[in-house]
Amino acid sequence: MNAGPWNLLRIVVAAIYLFILGPILITAAVAFNESNRSYFPPRGFSLKWWGEAFAPQWVQPLMFSLELAALTAIVATAIGIPLAFAFQRYEFPGKAIVRTITLGPLILPTLVTGIALLQFLTVIGLGRWLGYWALLIGHVIICLPFSVRTIAISLQAMPGSVENAAASLGAGPLAVLRYVTFPIIVPGIFAGMAFAFIHSFTDINMSLFIAKPGQRPVTVAIMSFLDFGFAPTLAALSILSLLIPLVLVALLGRFVGIGNFLYQEQGRG
Amino acid sequence: MLTPTAQSRPIVPFLLVLLPAAFLLIFFVIPTAFLLSASFIESDGVIMTGVWTTQNYADLLSRPLYQQAILRTFLIGIAVGVIVILVSYPLAYFLVRTTSPWRGFLIALSLSPLLASVIVRTYGWWVILNREGAVNTALLSVGIIDQPLTLLPSSMAITIGLAHALLPYGVLTIMASLNGLNPNIERAAMSLGAGRIRTFLAVTLPLTWPGIVGGFLLAFAIAISAYATPAILGGPGTQVMATLIRNFMVQALDWALGSAMGAILLVSSILLLLLTSALGGRRAG
Repeated sequence: MNAGPWNLLRIVVAAIYLFILGPILITAAVAFNESNRSYFPPRGFSLKWWGEAFAPQWVQPLMFSLELAALTAIVATAIGIPLAFAFQRYEFPGKAIVRTITLGPLILPTLVTGIALLQFLTVIGLGRWLGYWALLIGHVIICLPFSVRTIAISLQAMPGSVENAAASLGAGPLAVLRYVTFPIIVPGIFAGMAFAFIHSFTDINMSLFIAKPGQRPVTVAIMSFLDFGFAPTLAALSILSLLIPLVLVALLGRFVGIGNFLYQEQGRG
Repeated sequence: MLTPTAQSRPIVPFLLVLLPAAFLLIFFVIPTAFLLSASFIESDGVIMTGVWTTQNYADLLSRPLYQQAILRTFLIGIAVGVIVILVSYPLAYFLVRTTSPWRGFLIALSLSPLLASVIVRTYGWWVILNREGAVNTALLSVGIIDQPLTLLPSSMAITIGLAHALLPYGVLTIMASLNGLNPNIERAAMSLGAGRIRTFLAVTLPLTWPGIVGGFLLAFAIAISAYATPAILGGPGTQVMATLIRNFMVQALDWALGSAMGAILLVSSILLLLLTSALGGRRAG
């Protein structure tokens, strides 16, 4: 084989990785600046901005985001399991429509779904829901496609003969579900929850319109503070908010091999 | 695939989808339909008068400020799509073909930006490109320039930031298309005497063309509706559709124009999607 082009490709790929990771590493470095300016390379060395990031002003939205993302993941999974079963196992009139509506939020601009919800809730007199409830509803809508698709993938990957074998040995439909089907799709359920969590936790396009002061995720809090300038505190906070999904995926990856799902999930897009 | 239990109980699927479908109908379908109809209704601030009109669209499409924002949005979308493909193709090709023991780690690393909020990813570009930023510091210290360059706010900065943020989508789409390629076809070309580069240009590239188009359209569709990156790396002179929508909905409280701009964005995305699936149909195999 001709090694020349391959070596050239390796150099190009190294440069691409620098492009991918550079901005994130630079953000981390900026948080160590001595003064309240976003210099790079950092001037002086200080940990005070990391301390600042733990001030109540930032911990509150961070905790709000965590709670919102966790609840969104749970609700999206609870709604996603019956939908995935219906799509994967049954034929029924209107299936194509329900399926399109379920996966729609993945394709339509999240920002438009957000302003539609803002306008709708206000017009029907539920403007007081803006904030926590609107965010939960909106995030469940945009995260649902992730849980439905991941669970559907694991249902599809499961050999049907396993369930038939259990049934032929005398297990009733509920027993098959409880002892055969469910344990097999558990990795898919957890992977779907992780995607929903991350998608909710990193969202800005929807939250921007339906959050309110005191009830806003950390992304919206950072965004609105950016109007006053870029401080190292925000850099520290950005990195902290990146670590949370990273730790989650690393933990989950140990148990269920989430990488396979990420690849299958996105590869189909 | 129907199991025996499924066929005997036609009521089951309805029970399964009833509540989720009702939830989506109330909070997703109706609001979206409402937004589309509101874009054709005259309104006074956030109060709709109920009079049907196409004036909202006429306003958006006739005023130079809005025209430019719409045009800029699509030009940035196209540029982002092209950069995403040019950068992600070599990376995806390497990741699919490498025999390195680090392959799994490298794939995870290339997708890791998906875990970060777009704000984290954009912040770094602001640090690099601002007047006191890394680029200006480097160029000044080497002596190439005497005065710091104004790299921000600009459409170029928005384009770079978005291309960086959307790169994983390009990598995933092209990797999927390279994985679907039968390696024997390339081996056949090489055994007939074609070099690696000629094999790539004559065989691999044409066969992965649907993946390239799919990745381009995906990046394009996400880029035109992105808010955070244009808001951080752009300014009043580089408004795009998403930042204008934010102004209409939250600051100017002109919901008629906001709905109409949202509708334009929505329809553009659906058209792009239809185009993708029409072209993606050939991807199988």
